Amino acid sequence: MNKFIILSIFSVTFSYSQEYYFYAAAESDDTVSLINFDGETAVELERIPVGSMKTEIEGPHGLTVDPSGDYWYLSLAHGNPYGSLVKFSTDTNRPIDKTTLGLFPASMQISSLTGLLYCVNFNLHGAMKPSSVSVVDPETMTEIKQIQTGVMPHGSRISPNGRYQYSVAMMSGELFEVDALTLEVNRTLSLDENHSMSHGGMHHSPVKPTWVMPHPTEPKVYIAGNGSDEIIEVNTAIWEITNRINTGKGPYNIDISADGKFLVATLKSDAKTLVWELDKKKPSIISNNSTVTHGVVISPDSKYAFVTVEGVGGDPGLVDVIDLEKAKVVSSVNIGKQAGGIAFWKIEE
Amino acid sequence: MKKTLLNLIISALILTTTSMYSQELIVKSNLENLTMRVGETFKPTSFAEDLEGQKTMCQAVIYYNKKGVFSTAKAVTVDRDKGTIRANEPGTHEIVALCIGQEGQRLSRTFSVQVDFPKAKEIKITLTSAKVYEGSYIPLEFEVVDEMNFTRKNEFFQLSSGSENIQIDAFNNVKAVSPGKAILSASFDDISTTLTIDVLSNPINKLELKASLDVSRTGDVVNYEAVGYDINGNQLEGLPFTYTFSGKAIDKSNNASGLIMNDGRFVADVIGDYMISASLGTSSASRPLKVVGRGVEREVLKVGKGVVSDKHTSDFWVFEGVDGRDYAVTGTWGADGTSFFWDVTDPANIKKIDSVKVDARTVNDVKVSQDGRISVIGREGASDRKNGIIILDVSNPYDVKILSEYTKNLTGGVHNVFIDNDHVYALSGSQRYFVINIEDPKNPVEVGMFEVGKEGQSIHDVWIEDGIAYSSNWRDGVYLVDVGNGIADGSPSNPVAFANYDYATGAHHATFPFKSKSTGKFYTVLGDEIFPDGVDENNPNITAGFLHFVDFSDLDNPVEVAKYELPGQGSHNYWIEDDVLYVAMYGGGVRIVDISGDLLGDLYRQGREIGYIMTGTSNGYIPNATMAWGAQLYKGYVFYSDWNNGLGSSKVSELKPDNSKANQYINKTPIID
Repeated sequence: MNKFIILSIFSVTFSYSQEYYFYAAAESDDTVSLINFDGETAVELERIPVGSMKTEIEGPHGLTVDPSGDYWYLSLAHGNPYGSLVKFSTDTNRPIDKTTLGLFPASMQISSLTGLLYCVNFNLHGAMKPSSVSVVDPETMTEIKQIQTGVMPHGSRISPNGRYQYSVAMMSGELFEVDALTLEVNRTLSLDENHSMSHGGMHHSPVKPTWVMPHPTEPKVYIAGNGSDEIIEVNTAIWEITNRINTGKGPYNIDISADGKFLVATLKSDAKTLVWELDKKKPSIISNNSTVTHGVVISPDSKYAFVTVEGVGGDPGLVDVIDLEKAKVVSSVNIGKQAGGIAFWKIEE
Repeated sequence: MKKTLLNLIISALILTTTSMYSQELIVKSNLENLTMRVGETFKPTSFAEDLEGQKTMCQAVIYYNKKGVFSTAKAVTVDRDKGTIRANEPGTHEIVALCIGQEGQRLSRTFSVQVDFPKAKEIKITLTSAKVYEGSYIPLEFEVVDEMNFTRKNEFFQLSSGSENIQIDAFNNVKAVSPGKAILSASFDDISTTLTIDVLSNPINKLELKASLDVSRTGDVVNYEAVGYDINGNQLEGLPFTYTFSGKAIDKSNNASGLIMNDGRFVADVIGDYMISASLGTSSASRPLKVVGRGVEREVLKVGKGVVSDKHTSDFWVFEGVDGRDYAVTGTWGADGTSFFWDVTDPANIKKIDSVKVDARTVNDVKVSQDGRISVIGREGASDRKNGIIILDVSNPYDVKILSEYTKNLTGGVHNVFIDNDHVYALSGSQRYFVINIEDPKNPVEVGMFEVGKEGQSIHDVWIEDGIAYSSNWRDGVYLVDVGNGIADGSPSNPVAFANYDYATGAHHATFPFKSKSTGKFYTVLGDEIFPDGVDENNPNITAGFLHFVDFSDLDNPVEVAKYELPGQGSHNYWIEDDVLYVAMYGGGVRIVDISGDLLGDLYRQGREIGYIMTGTSNGYIPNATMAWGAQLYKGYVFYSDWNNGLGSSKVSELKPDNSKANQYINKTPIID
């Protein structure tokens, strides 16, 4: 219903110039940038310092905006030792509340069904053992459960109806479906070919999945095979892999446009972005303006993809704006070092 | 016109959408006013209700303890399979019922659940002094043991007594007023007990108060001993004296503060006239103490600087090179992975001589081997996320070479490192440290690892001295680990912890071991790191925290005896040599503090500061913004790094400070030379 309303609004207002607003995190600067794109130029409106320990890099990693647009949420990867989730007001960009999560909390999303936030604990630098998904009530900012999944879970995304949370385990090569209501793992699927799962052994997945993105209308999820250089399509109705599509090197994050037309994947190792019209065979590959391409979010009107690029060492991070129809970078803006997490906030006329 | 019509359509759509969720609903639950007993389980049921009392069932209800999922939230646990909650600990606990409506609306409410203490099965009153004398307050402890064996201390008992020789006030203070047997009755939760107290007559005919000094400096610990004699002049043993003090400061706007301990040790903070008293019942003796200035202030002269004006500077290390000249290495923070090398042979003429740039954003820590040949730097923010350490050949600091990179188990970023006898101790992901053999620096090999082994274990720093690794583990405090000393049969490949001390704030970030030259006592000096208002990378910041002095002379019973806290400024890294502390206090600069003699109480207030260095420079990364990071005494010079300014050197003069520019109306204080 909500999606129908949003789509209706955008379809009627397409003739007006749009202002796009989104947040992007700089993991090695402990800052988050609020960026405006007016259809031609992206501008950094504000650079917001985050974290609480001046002499420690706390690593802002994942970002998401509340469905109401009133709040944004940020995962800070490093702590003592646990990372944390911080809630900010979009009015002031000031922190409101905070809660501790697991080791290296990363990507997250809020379910439209439960209103709960589901954040994977990536545990990027820990032992090769199963980590978890933290479930947080963003109203009270309480972590209410840690649901064990696989080794290095990443790419927390919610099904369009809000009922299921999907994540992939990078090192154990699994797809996890969590029931957002019962807070239990519903189904798992090995993404490695000819492999039976065992958490006891030191299995290192050749696929190294790093992201999963549900299709907005079809019972499918798309997975970035960072190690196998492919996008994996899984049909969630039959819970089977239905397609493997070769990409460039190191697909990392994925978004799919609200109209279901475009799949955009960052190719981390190639410093490129893949733009794929899902009903066509051959995707476009677009070069980014720096190296180590990381995150992507598509505007709700399905026109633009906003892509973060980390850079190396002292390079500034940046956000490239890609016009999806033209399949080209139309604007770019520098932000803090190691640009990573990105979340769309709003469109204004 | 077209735009107005469009706006109307949008408004209508939005109104239609929001009206579905705008009903006034509240969660109702049998959790309301719920009282449970420990060990009991309860099946909550909840639903939504509107203002008219219309009930709406929830699609699902999620219950959770508002304290979260960690160990602090075990008082009431939720079993989602059974749909029940279980009371595990007494107290008032908050349980949230989150109702997911039939159409996906979320509604929640927090309920206070009272978990009663189990019924008391035993109450105890304990007399904590072997003898009670007339005229004294009776030292008592109260304890309840309940039916589930939970123990509670100092509950408020109902006290009464039919004995006329003791008095009980409204706060349960009990005073022995005259000799004889007294029966103290107590009741709690329908359990009663009694304590028989033998109040003794005061045996003291004469009371003498001995002192180790009658004139002391601020900060000097003076030992008092009260000695009682009976009517025959015999010395009485084991009398529970109470020691107190009063006094007047020389400075009329100040109070004569200090600290007096139960064993008679006293330290004065400020200059003035004090009166120390010992008492037992109605017997007391007093003794005056004149306290004069410590007189340790010295002129501190800035000597040289090596400014880094385009990046934040982090840690540093000064060392003697293989050529006999003196050098330093500094790291950079939130930048481009650069470390700088300096020739500091002439501390007045610090020269930048080389730099090494690695794939990192922060090189937080830098160390150099004892022989001046190898340097190790830690990486954070590497683009490949492997981080780890870089081992450098610094035998020619004018031409530093990268020997190897080591990342195994260190991909979480290496915030701090130490080198000791061909081994690198490197922090891993703020949880543990690994020991890496670098006898062949081109082929480092992991040989050991140490971690506290507790839930939520965390570490910030490790420092090695005499084969003992001192790791700073935030809330778990300092761990003393044998890595070659022999005290616990440890070695680099077999680190063995043998002592530990933690403290309440949990902000323990650095440790420096300190064997006092003047007293022979062994301390660990434990530093906090606290940013109470969060961060602002581009402006000066508020910092907090202090140094805790822990007497570790008895490894099994460490005692925190003193602190150094600079008002308004927090502590960071520090160095101790010859009973002098050199501590970087962020915005307070580097403080040079006399820590000779016994240590007790508040060292800052005791006038122990020798001098200070404000480390800001006009051409710093943030000009004139002092943010002292660390300090090191090297060949008589105080070297320091500053987050906004780079490297600097100063000298503590033998001369007393030049007071010619000081306010002439400041009270002159008596100083004993």
